[in-house]
Amino acid sequence: MNCSIVPPYLLQRLASLEDPALAPVAAAARASLQRDVPFRGIRVGEAAPPTTSDRRSTLTTRALRDPDRTIADAGNTEALPGTIVRREGDSAASDPAVNEAYDGLGETHSFFRHVFARASIDDNNLPLAATVHFGDDYDNAFWDGERMVFGDGDGIVFRRMTASLSVIGHELAHGVTQHSANLLYKDQAGALNESVSDVFGALVEQRSLGHSTDEASWLIGLGLFTDEVEGEALRSLKAPGEAYNDDVLGKDPQPAHMRDYVQTSDDNGGVHLNSGIPNHAFYLVAQELGGQAWERAGLIWYTALTNGSLTPTADFAAFATATAAAAIALYGDDSVEHSAVRAGWTGVGVPVGRPAE
Amino acid sequence: MKVIVTRTGGMAGLRRTWEVTIDEQPDRDSWQELLTRLPREHRLPAPPQPDRYVYEIRWSRRRVVLPEQQVTGPWRELVDRVRETEDRRQA
Repeated sequence: MNCSIVPPYLLQRLASLEDPALAPVAAAARASLQRDVPFRGIRVGEAAPPTTSDRRSTLTTRALRDPDRTIADAGNTEALPGTIVRREGDSAASDPAVNEAYDGLGETHSFFRHVFARASIDDNNLPLAATVHFGDDYDNAFWDGERMVFGDGDGIVFRRMTASLSVIGHELAHGVTQHSANLLYKDQAGALNESVSDVFGALVEQRSLGHSTDEASWLIGLGLFTDEVEGEALRSLKAPGEAYNDDVLGKDPQPAHMRDYVQTSDDNGGVHLNSGIPNHAFYLVAQELGGQAWERAGLIWYTALTNGSLTPTADFAAFATATAAAAIALYGDDSVEHSAVRAGWTGVGVPVGRPAE
Repeated sequence: MKVIVTRTGGMAGLRRTWEVTIDEQPDRDSWQELLTRLPREHRLPAPPQPDRYVYEIRWSRRRVVLPEQQVTGPWRELVDRVRETEDRRQA
Protein backbone atom coordinates (compact mmCIF):
# COMPACT_ATOMS: atom_id res chain seq x y z
CA MET A 1 0.00 0.00 0.00
CA ASN A 2 1.27 3.45 -0.84
CA CYS A 3 1.22 5.85 2.12
CA SER A 4 1.36 9.33 0.69
CA ILE A 5 2.38 12.01 3.14
CA VAL A 6 1.58 15.02 0.99
CA PRO A 7 -1.92 15.10 -0.49
CA PRO A 8 -2.30 15.87 -4.22
CA TYR A 9 -4.09 19.20 -3.85
CA LEU A 10 -1.19 20.53 -1.81
CA LEU A 11 1.36 19.21 -4.29
CA GLN A 12 -0.57 20.88 -7.09
CA ARG A 13 -0.49 24.23 -5.30
CA LEU A 14 3.23 23.88 -4.71
CA ALA A 15 3.78 22.78 -8.32
CA SER A 16 2.33 26.05 -9.60
CA LEU A 17 4.40 28.38 -7.42
CA GLU A 18 5.83 31.18 -9.55
CA ASP A 19 8.24 32.85 -7.11
CA PRO A 20 11.72 32.12 -8.56
CA ALA A 21 13.07 31.70 -5.02
CA LEU A 22 10.70 28.77 -4.58
CA ALA A 23 11.51 27.13 -7.94
CA PRO A 24 13.17 24.06 -6.37
CA VAL A 25 10.04 23.50 -4.28
CA ALA A 26 7.83 23.72 -7.36
CA ALA A 27 10.08 21.36 -9.28
CA ALA A 28 10.12 18.83 -6.45
CA ALA A 29 6.34 18.95 -6.18
CA ARG A 30 5.96 18.41 -9.92
CA ALA A 31 8.39 15.49 -9.78
CA SER A 32 6.40 13.96 -6.97
CA LEU A 33 3.11 14.38 -8.85
CA GLN A 34 4.59 12.73 -11.93
CA ARG A 35 5.64 9.68 -9.97
CA ASP A 36 2.50 9.46 -7.90
CA VAL A 37 -0.22 9.75 -10.53
CA PRO A 38 -0.82 5.98 -10.86
CA PHE A 39 -1.24 5.69 -7.10
CA ARG A 40 -3.72 8.47 -6.72
CA GLY A 41 -6.54 6.58 -8.40
CA ILE A 42 -5.86 7.83 -11.89
CA ARG A 43 -5.12 4.63 -13.78
CA VAL A 44 -5.07 4.54 -17.55
CA GLY A 45 -4.93 1.39 -19.65
CA GLU A 46 -3.76 -1.88 -18.15
CA ALA A 47 -0.25 -1.04 -17.03
CA ALA A 48 1.08 -3.04 -14.11
CA PRO A 49 1.95 -0.81 -11.17
CA PRO A 50 5.61 0.23 -10.98
CA THR A 51 7.71 -1.60 -8.40
CA THR A 52 8.29 -0.33 -4.91
CA SER A 53 11.64 1.15 -5.87
CA ASP A 54 9.84 3.49 -8.31
CA ARG A 55 7.45 4.87 -5.74
CA ARG A 56 8.15 8.31 -4.44
CA SER A 57 5.59 10.24 -2.49
CA THR A 58 7.71 12.74 -0.60
CA LEU A 59 9.11 16.04 -1.76
CA THR A 60 12.66 14.76 -2.05
CA THR A 61 14.06 14.04 -5.48
CA ARG A 62 16.87 11.72 -6.58
CA ALA A 63 20.43 13.12 -6.60
CA LEU A 64 20.78 15.05 -9.86
CA ARG A 65 24.40 14.63 -10.90
CA ASP A 66 26.38 16.45 -13.57
CA PRO A 67 26.63 14.65 -16.93
CA ASP A 68 29.35 12.07 -17.55
CA ARG A 69 29.99 12.22 -21.30
CA THR A 70 32.23 10.09 -23.51
CA ILE A 71 32.60 10.74 -27.25
CA ALA A 72 34.17 8.11 -29.50
CA ASP A 73 35.25 8.17 -33.15
CA ALA A 74 34.42 5.20 -35.39
CA GLY A 75 36.84 6.45 -38.06
CA ASN A 76 34.32 5.96 -40.86
CA THR A 77 34.01 2.26 -40.09
CA GLU A 78 30.95 0.59 -38.57
CA ALA A 79 32.81 -0.75 -35.55
CA LEU A 80 31.30 0.44 -32.27
CA PRO A 81 31.99 2.03 -29.91
CA GLY A 82 35.10 3.36 -31.68
CA THR A 83 38.08 5.13 -30.17
CA ILE A 84 37.41 7.48 -27.25
CA VAL A 85 38.39 11.02 -28.22
CA ARG A 86 36.78 13.23 -25.60
CA ARG A 87 35.80 12.53 -22.01
CA GLU A 88 33.79 14.59 -19.53
CA GLY A 89 35.67 17.73 -18.65
CA ASP A 90 38.17 17.51 -21.53
CA SER A 91 38.66 20.72 -23.47
CA ALA A 92 37.21 21.06 -26.96
CA ALA A 93 38.61 18.82 -29.68
CA SER A 94 39.68 20.06 -33.11
CA ASP A 95 36.93 17.95 -34.68
CA PRO A 96 33.62 19.88 -34.84
CA ALA A 97 31.56 16.66 -34.90
CA VAL A 98 33.08 15.60 -31.57
CA ASN A 99 32.32 18.98 -30.02
CA GLU A 100 28.81 19.16 -31.39
CA ALA A 101 28.05 15.71 -29.96
CA TYR A 102 29.62 16.65 -26.61
CA ASP A 103 27.74 19.94 -26.37
CA GLY A 104 24.49 18.43 -27.60
CA LEU A 105 24.65 15.66 -25.00
CA GLY A 106 25.24 18.34 -22.38
CA GLU A 107 22.30 20.47 -23.52
CA THR A 108 19.96 17.48 -23.56
CA HIS A 109 21.12 16.30 -20.14
CA SER A 110 20.63 19.82 -18.81
CA PHE A 111 17.13 19.97 -20.28
CA PHE A 112 15.93 16.80 -18.58
CA ARG A 113 17.66 17.74 -15.32
CA HIS A 114 16.45 21.31 -14.96
CA VAL A 115 13.05 21.07 -16.59
CA PHE A 116 11.88 17.69 -15.28
CA ALA A 117 14.29 16.91 -12.42
CA ARG A 118 15.37 13.77 -14.32
CA ALA A 119 18.81 12.37 -13.51
CA SER A 120 20.14 11.60 -17.02
CA ILE A 121 18.15 9.55 -19.48
CA ASP A 122 17.48 6.62 -17.14
CA ASP A 123 16.76 8.87 -14.13
CA ASN A 124 19.68 7.17 -12.41
CA ASN A 125 22.59 9.30 -13.67
CA LEU A 126 23.46 7.04 -16.61
CA PRO A 127 26.70 8.13 -18.32
CA LEU A 128 26.11 9.48 -21.83
CA ALA A 129 27.94 8.02 -24.82
CA ALA A 130 28.05 9.01 -28.45
CA THR A 131 30.03 7.84 -31.45
CA VAL A 132 30.72 10.10 -34.43
CA HIS A 133 32.04 9.40 -37.96
CA PHE A 134 30.11 6.14 -38.20
CA GLY A 135 30.16 4.50 -41.62
CA ASP A 136 30.97 5.92 -45.02
CA ASP A 137 28.83 8.83 -46.30
CA TYR A 138 26.30 7.61 -43.74
CA ASP A 139 23.22 9.81 -43.93
CA ASN A 140 21.83 8.83 -40.58
CA ALA A 141 21.98 8.89 -36.79
CA PHE A 142 20.50 6.32 -34.41
CA TRP A 143 20.22 5.13 -30.81
CA ASP A 144 21.55 1.57 -30.44
CA GLY A 145 20.19 0.96 -26.94
CA GLU A 146 23.35 2.20 -25.23
CA ARG A 147 24.72 5.13 -27.20
CA MET A 148 23.97 7.63 -29.92
CA VAL A 149 25.68 7.01 -33.23
CA PHE A 150 26.15 9.70 -35.91
CA GLY A 151 27.14 9.53 -39.55
CA ASP A 152 28.82 12.29 -41.51
CA GLY A 153 26.13 12.67 -44.13
CA ASP A 154 27.00 12.43 -47.80
CA GLY A 155 27.73 16.12 -48.33
CA ILE A 156 25.29 16.20 -51.24
CA VAL A 157 21.92 15.99 -49.53
CA PHE A 158 22.92 15.80 -45.87
CA ARG A 159 25.53 17.55 -43.79
CA ARG A 160 26.92 15.83 -40.69
CA MET A 161 24.18 14.63 -38.37
CA THR A 162 25.61 16.26 -35.23
CA ALA A 163 24.84 19.69 -36.70
CA SER A 164 21.28 19.68 -35.35
CA LEU A 165 20.51 19.88 -31.63
CA SER A 166 16.97 18.66 -32.27
CA VAL A 167 18.45 15.47 -33.78
CA ILE A 168 20.76 14.94 -30.81
CA GLY A 169 17.85 15.50 -28.43
CA HIS A 170 15.68 13.17 -30.53
CA GLU A 171 18.20 10.34 -30.28
CA LEU A 172 18.76 10.73 -26.53
CA ALA A 173 15.00 10.89 -25.97
CA HIS A 174 14.80 7.35 -27.42
CA GLY A 175 16.85 6.39 -24.38
CA VAL A 176 14.41 8.19 -22.08
CA THR A 177 11.52 6.29 -23.69
CA GLN A 178 13.44 3.01 -23.42
CA HIS A 179 13.88 3.63 -19.68
CA SER A 180 10.28 4.65 -19.08
CA ALA A 181 7.26 3.62 -21.18
CA ASN A 182 9.49 1.51 -23.48
CA LEU A 183 7.10 1.98 -26.40
CA LEU A 184 7.49 -0.81 -28.94
CA TYR A 185 9.12 0.47 -32.14
CA LYS A 186 6.34 -0.63 -34.43
CA ASP A 187 2.99 0.68 -35.73
CA GLN A 188 1.20 3.22 -33.50
CA ALA A 189 3.35 2.59 -30.42
CA GLY A 190 6.40 3.08 -32.63
CA ALA A 191 4.99 6.28 -34.09
CA LEU A 192 4.46 7.48 -30.52
CA ASN A 193 8.05 6.52 -29.69
CA GLU A 194 9.19 8.57 -32.69
CA SER A 195 6.88 11.46 -31.79
CA VAL A 196 8.10 11.63 -28.20
CA SER A 197 11.63 11.91 -29.56
CA ASP A 198 10.63 14.68 -31.96
CA VAL A 199 8.78 16.55 -29.20
CA PHE A 200 11.66 16.47 -26.74
CA GLY A 201 14.23 17.04 -29.47
CA ALA A 202 12.36 20.19 -30.46
CA LEU A 203 12.00 21.31 -26.84
CA VAL A 204 15.72 20.84 -26.10
CA GLU A 205 16.49 23.07 -29.07
CA GLN A 206 13.82 25.64 -28.13
CA ARG A 207 15.08 25.93 -24.59
CA SER A 208 18.69 26.32 -25.71
CA LEU A 209 17.59 29.18 -27.98
CA GLY A 210 15.19 30.67 -25.43
CA HIS A 211 12.33 30.40 -27.95
CA SER A 212 8.71 30.71 -26.97
CA THR A 213 6.03 28.74 -28.81
CA ASP A 214 5.55 31.61 -31.26
CA GLU A 215 9.28 32.08 -31.91
CA ALA A 216 10.14 28.40 -32.33
CA SER A 217 10.67 26.80 -35.73
CA TRP A 218 8.97 23.55 -34.67
CA LEU A 219 11.31 21.78 -37.12
CA ILE A 220 13.35 18.61 -36.63
CA GLY A 221 16.75 18.59 -38.26
CA LEU A 222 16.98 22.24 -39.22
CA GLY A 223 20.48 22.68 -40.63
CA LEU A 224 21.00 19.09 -41.79
CA PHE A 225 20.12 19.58 -45.44
CA THR A 226 22.71 21.06 -47.80
CA ASP A 227 21.84 24.12 -49.87
CA GLU A 228 21.05 21.78 -52.76
CA VAL A 229 17.87 20.58 -51.11
CA GLU A 230 14.51 22.28 -51.58
CA GLY A 231 13.49 22.08 -47.99
CA GLU A 232 14.05 23.36 -44.50
CA ALA A 233 14.22 20.27 -42.32
CA LEU A 234 13.27 16.61 -41.94
CA ARG A 235 9.94 17.16 -40.20
CA SER A 236 7.65 19.91 -38.94
CA LEU A 237 5.46 19.58 -35.84
CA LYS A 238 3.65 22.77 -36.83
CA ALA A 239 2.96 21.67 -40.41
CA PRO A 240 3.54 17.95 -41.01
CA GLY A 241 3.94 17.33 -44.74
CA GLU A 242 5.50 20.73 -45.45
CA ALA A 243 9.08 20.33 -44.22
CA TYR A 244 10.51 19.71 -47.70
CA ASN A 245 9.55 19.27 -51.34
CA ASP A 246 12.55 18.31 -53.42
CA ASP A 247 13.24 16.68 -56.82
CA VAL A 248 15.46 14.00 -55.32
CA LEU A 249 13.93 13.48 -51.87
CA GLY A 250 10.33 13.91 -52.92
CA LYS A 251 7.74 15.59 -50.73
CA ASP A 252 7.51 15.35 -46.95
CA PRO A 253 5.04 12.41 -46.59
CA GLN A 254 3.90 13.02 -43.01
CA PRO A 255 0.19 13.14 -42.20
CA ALA A 256 -1.16 15.70 -39.73
CA HIS A 257 -4.47 13.96 -39.02
CA MET A 258 -5.77 10.44 -38.41
CA ARG A 259 -7.75 10.52 -41.64
CA ASP A 260 -4.39 10.41 -43.45
CA TYR A 261 -2.81 7.67 -41.29
CA VAL A 262 -0.45 5.61 -43.46
CA GLN A 263 -0.89 1.83 -43.36
CA THR A 264 2.39 0.40 -44.58
CA SER A 265 4.89 -2.37 -43.93
CA ASP A 266 7.74 0.08 -44.61
CA ASP A 267 9.65 1.58 -41.71
CA ASN A 268 8.31 -0.76 -39.00
CA GLY A 269 4.76 0.26 -39.86
CA GLY A 270 5.53 3.85 -40.83
CA VAL A 271 6.83 5.05 -37.47
CA HIS A 272 8.54 8.11 -39.02
CA LEU A 273 5.43 8.90 -41.06
CA ASN A 274 2.56 8.59 -38.59
CA SER A 275 4.53 10.37 -35.87
CA GLY A 276 3.29 13.50 -37.64
CA ILE A 277 -0.11 13.02 -36.02
CA PRO A 278 0.90 13.02 -32.33
CA ASN A 279 3.59 15.60 -33.19
CA HIS A 280 0.92 17.97 -34.43
CA ALA A 281 -1.25 17.29 -31.38
CA PHE A 282 1.64 18.43 -29.19
CA TYR A 283 2.12 21.55 -31.30
CA LEU A 284 -1.59 22.40 -30.97
CA VAL A 285 -1.47 22.01 -27.18
CA ALA A 286 1.68 24.14 -26.93
CA GLN A 287 0.31 26.80 -29.21
CA GLU A 288 -2.95 26.98 -27.22
CA LEU A 289 -1.11 27.40 -23.93
CA GLY A 290 1.56 29.77 -25.26
CA GLY A 291 4.75 30.76 -23.46
CA GLN A 292 7.66 28.34 -23.38
CA ALA A 293 6.40 24.97 -24.56
CA TRP A 294 8.50 22.81 -22.26
CA GLU A 295 6.94 24.29 -19.12
CA ARG A 296 3.38 23.02 -19.41
CA ALA A 297 2.79 21.06 -22.62
CA GLY A 298 6.23 19.47 -22.21
CA LEU A 299 5.58 18.63 -18.56
CA ILE A 300 2.25 17.00 -19.43
CA TRP A 301 3.86 14.87 -22.13
CA TYR A 302 6.79 13.95 -19.87
CA THR A 303 4.44 13.00 -17.06
CA ALA A 304 2.37 10.74 -19.31
CA LEU A 305 5.53 9.08 -20.65
CA THR A 306 7.15 8.39 -17.29
CA ASN A 307 4.45 7.82 -14.69
CA GLY A 308 3.67 4.21 -15.55
CA SER A 309 0.34 4.92 -17.23
CA LEU A 310 1.41 3.57 -20.65
CA THR A 311 2.00 0.02 -21.80
CA PRO A 312 4.69 -0.67 -24.44
CA THR A 313 1.96 -1.31 -27.02
CA ALA A 314 0.00 1.88 -26.32
CA ASP A 315 -1.80 3.30 -29.33
CA PHE A 316 -2.54 6.97 -30.08
CA ALA A 317 -5.84 6.88 -28.15
CA ALA A 318 -4.18 5.41 -25.04
CA PHE A 319 -1.45 8.04 -25.19
CA ALA A 320 -4.00 10.82 -25.62
CA THR A 321 -5.91 9.58 -22.58
CA ALA A 322 -2.67 9.41 -20.59
CA THR A 323 -1.84 13.02 -21.43
CA ALA A 324 -5.34 14.09 -20.38
CA ALA A 325 -4.91 12.24 -17.09
CA ALA A 326 -1.55 13.91 -16.58
CA ALA A 327 -3.04 17.34 -17.25
CA ILE A 328 -5.77 16.66 -14.69
CA ALA A 329 -3.24 15.49 -12.09
CA LEU A 330 -0.98 18.49 -12.63
CA TYR A 331 -3.47 21.31 -13.20
CA GLY A 332 -6.97 20.08 -12.37
CA ASP A 333 -9.96 18.79 -14.30
CA ASP A 334 -11.30 22.25 -15.25
CA SER A 335 -7.90 23.75 -16.07
CA VAL A 336 -7.00 25.46 -19.36
CA GLU A 337 -4.21 22.89 -19.65
CA HIS A 338 -6.65 19.95 -19.58
CA SER A 339 -8.87 21.68 -22.17
CA ALA A 340 -5.88 22.38 -24.39
CA VAL A 341 -4.82 18.73 -24.30
CA ARG A 342 -8.29 17.51 -25.27
CA ALA A 343 -8.51 20.10 -28.06
CA GLY A 344 -5.05 19.16 -29.35
CA TRP A 345 -5.94 15.52 -29.82
CA THR A 346 -9.37 16.31 -31.22
CA GLY A 347 -7.59 18.56 -33.69
CA VAL A 348 -5.72 15.58 -35.15
CA GLY A 349 -8.67 13.20 -35.03
CA VAL A 350 -7.58 11.05 -32.05
CA PRO A 351 -10.27 10.27 -29.47
CA VAL A 352 -9.45 11.18 -25.85
CA GLY A 353 -10.99 8.88 -23.25
CA ARG A 354 -12.05 9.77 -19.77
CA PRO A 355 -9.30 8.67 -17.39
CA ALA A 356 -10.59 6.03 -14.91
CA GLU A 357 -11.60 7.56 -11.59
CA MET B 1 15.52 -11.15 -63.29
CA LYS B 2 15.48 -8.03 -61.18
CA VAL B 3 16.84 -7.52 -57.71
CA ILE B 4 15.04 -4.66 -55.96
CA VAL B 5 16.33 -3.12 -52.74
CA THR B 6 14.06 -0.72 -50.84
CA ARG B 7 15.36 1.17 -47.84
CA THR B 8 13.00 2.90 -45.42
CA GLY B 9 13.25 4.20 -41.87
CA GLY B 10 16.37 5.98 -40.73
CA MET B 11 16.26 9.25 -38.84
CA ALA B 12 14.90 11.05 -41.91
CA GLY B 13 12.28 8.43 -42.74
CA LEU B 14 13.10 8.65 -46.46
CA ARG B 15 12.18 5.87 -48.89
CA ARG B 16 14.73 4.90 -51.50
CA THR B 17 14.76 2.12 -54.07
CA TRP B 18 17.58 0.65 -56.15
CA GLU B 19 17.22 -2.10 -58.72
CA VAL B 20 19.40 -4.16 -61.02
CA THR B 21 18.30 -6.29 -63.97
CA ILE B 22 20.77 -9.13 -63.63
CA ASP B 23 20.40 -10.46 -67.18
CA GLU B 24 21.59 -7.09 -68.51
CA GLN B 25 24.77 -7.12 -66.45
CA PRO B 26 28.10 -8.09 -68.03
CA ASP B 27 28.98 -10.01 -64.85
CA ARG B 28 25.62 -11.76 -64.54
CA ASP B 29 27.27 -15.03 -63.51
CA SER B 30 28.80 -13.52 -60.40
CA TRP B 31 25.39 -11.99 -59.54
CA GLN B 32 23.83 -15.44 -59.78
CA GLU B 33 26.59 -16.83 -57.60
CA LEU B 34 25.95 -14.16 -54.97
CA LEU B 35 22.23 -14.98 -54.94
CA THR B 36 23.01 -18.64 -54.23
CA ARG B 37 25.02 -17.60 -51.17
CA LEU B 38 22.10 -15.82 -49.52
CA PRO B 39 20.89 -17.62 -46.41
CA ARG B 40 17.60 -19.45 -46.90
CA GLU B 41 16.73 -20.06 -43.28
CA HIS B 42 14.19 -17.84 -41.55
CA ARG B 43 15.95 -15.59 -39.08
CA LEU B 44 14.27 -13.97 -36.10
CA PRO B 45 14.49 -10.21 -36.50
CA ALA B 46 16.76 -8.39 -34.08
CA PRO B 47 15.20 -5.97 -31.58
CA PRO B 48 14.78 -2.67 -33.44
CA GLN B 49 17.27 0.08 -32.77
CA PRO B 50 15.46 3.40 -33.16
CA ASP B 51 16.22 5.33 -36.35
CA ARG B 52 18.15 2.55 -38.05
CA TYR B 53 17.23 1.70 -41.60
CA VAL B 54 14.92 -1.13 -42.68
CA TYR B 55 15.85 -2.97 -45.90
CA GLU B 56 13.45 -4.92 -48.10
CA ILE B 57 15.15 -7.12 -50.71
CA ARG B 58 13.12 -8.75 -53.48
CA TRP B 59 14.20 -11.08 -56.28
CA SER B 60 12.57 -13.98 -58.12
CA ARG B 61 9.63 -14.80 -55.82
CA ARG B 62 11.46 -14.04 -52.60
CA ARG B 63 10.99 -11.06 -50.31
CA VAL B 64 13.12 -10.52 -47.24
CA VAL B 65 12.87 -7.63 -44.74
CA LEU B 66 15.91 -7.02 -42.58
CA PRO B 67 16.80 -4.39 -39.99
CA GLU B 68 19.99 -2.57 -40.93
CA GLN B 69 22.05 -4.28 -38.24
CA GLN B 70 21.24 -7.68 -39.81
CA VAL B 71 22.30 -6.66 -43.32
CA THR B 72 25.64 -8.43 -42.99
CA GLY B 73 27.68 -10.98 -44.95
CA PRO B 74 26.13 -11.87 -48.32
CA TRP B 75 23.09 -9.64 -47.64
CA ARG B 76 25.42 -6.66 -47.21
CA GLU B 77 27.35 -7.65 -50.29
CA LEU B 78 24.13 -7.81 -52.33
CA VAL B 79 22.72 -4.51 -51.07
CA ASP B 80 26.03 -2.66 -51.61
CA ARG B 81 26.39 -4.13 -55.08
CA VAL B 82 22.85 -3.23 -56.14
CA ARG B 83 23.32 0.33 -54.87
CA GLU B 84 26.69 0.77 -56.55
CA THR B 85 25.45 -0.63 -59.85
CA GLU B 86 22.40 1.63 -59.88
CA ASP B 87 24.41 4.67 -58.77
CA ARG B 88 26.89 4.05 -61.60
CA ARG B 89 24.05 3.71 -64.05
CA GLN B 90 22.52 6.98 -62.87
CA ALA B 91 25.80 8.87 -62.94
